[in-house]
Amino acid sequence: MNSSVVINITRKRENPPTEWRLLPLRVDDAFMSMAIDEALLKLNAEGKSPNTVRFWRWLPSTVSIGCFQSVEREVDLGVAKKYGVDVVRRITGGGAVFHDYNGELTYSVVCRQDDVPDDIIESYKLICGGLVEGFKRLGLRAEFKPVNDVQVDGKKISGSAQTRRWGSVLQHGTILIDPDVRLMFELLKVSPEKISDKFISSVYERVTTVARGLGQKPDFDEVAAAMRAGFERSLGVMLTQGELTSAEERLAAELKPKYASDEWQRKR
Amino acid sequence: MGYAEFKAPKGVIKVELELSGDVISLISLSGDFFMYPEDALEELERTLMGVRTDRGSLLEAVRRFYDSMGVRTPMIEPEHWVEAILRAAGGSR
Repeated sequence: MNSSVVINITRKRENPPTEWRLLPLRVDDAFMSMAIDEALLKLNAEGKSPNTVRFWRWLPSTVSIGCFQSVEREVDLGVAKKYGVDVVRRITGGGAVFHDYNGELTYSVVCRQDDVPDDIIESYKLICGGLVEGFKRLGLRAEFKPVNDVQVDGKKISGSAQTRRWGSVLQHGTILIDPDVRLMFELLKVSPEKISDKFISSVYERVTTVARGLGQKPDFDEVAAAMRAGFERSLGVMLTQGELTSAEERLAAELKPKYASDEWQRKR
Repeated sequence: MGYAEFKAPKGVIKVELELSGDVISLISLSGDFFMYPEDALEELERTLMGVRTDRGSLLEAVRRFYDSMGVRTPMIEPEHWVEAILRAAGGSR
C-alpha cells in the first residue's frame, strides 16, 4: 500500500484516472507497431485516448534503433535482409534492440505527463516498477537500474525508452524472454572479432532472460499477465480490457508509411 | 572529415564533423543517448556550426544550447559533448 501513497504525492493532476485501458496482446510488423504507439501518444495528448498499457510482438523480427542513431553505423543491413529481419527507427531515444518474434515481448505505456513524475529518471522508475513487480510475480528477483533498465541478479533483463510530446508520455521497452543472442550480435554492428564465443559469454554475464532465470520458457500470455498485474500495482490503477478505437486505427494507418520510409530510416 | 565516439555515463555520443581551419563547418551527432525534447538535437548541431574547436568555445556553445532550450539529457553533461567533439576534431586535423 505504501507505493500508492508515494504515487499520489508525485502526481500533479487533481483527479488522476484510477482506471487505465489494457489492449489485448497484438502481433504486428514494426511499422504498424511504431505507428500505433505514436497514434496512442498523440490522441492521448489531445484528450481523445485514455491512458493505456499494451503488450505486443514483432512479426517479422525487427531491429529497432533509437531516434538519434545512424542506421548504417548500428545495423548490418545485409544480415537483416538475409534473415528477413525488418529495421525501424523509433521516435524514442536509446539504443538498438533486436526484437526476436520468438523470444521477446514488448510493452508500451501511454499516459498524460501529469500522471508521472516530472523528473525523467523518477518517471522511468515508476513505469519500470511495473516490470519489476511483474518479474517478481514470475519468480524473478528484479530491480530498477537507472536510467532505464531492469535487472535480475545484476544482469539486464529489460530496457525501456521514453518520449514526452504534446503533454503526454510514451514509454515502450523490451522484456527478454528467450531471444537468439547470436543473431542479435550478427545484426547489431559490433566489431567482427567480438562475435566470438568469448564475447557471447561476456554478454551472458551482463544480460539475462526470463527463460534463463526460470529454467524454462514461459508463454507470452503468462508474461503479459504478470506484467499487467505489476503495472496495476506500480501505477496504482486498475487496467481494464479495451480495444483500439477507430480514431486510433485511422491515425496509425496514416502514420505507418512514415516508419516504413527510407527517408525516416536514414534520418541520421 | 573527422569521426569519434565518446562513452558518456549513459550512452555513446558519435560525432562526424568537417572543419574549416579550426571552425566547425559541418557536424552530425548520433548515438544511443536520450534527449528531451528530441528535436533539440538538430538545434545543437546548428548551434555548433561556426564554433571554434577549442574546449572553452565549445563548452560555452553547448551550455548556451542547454540554457536556451531547457533541454534534458539524463546522465549526459555539456562536457561530454565537448569531449566527443574534441576527439572528432583531433582526428580530422
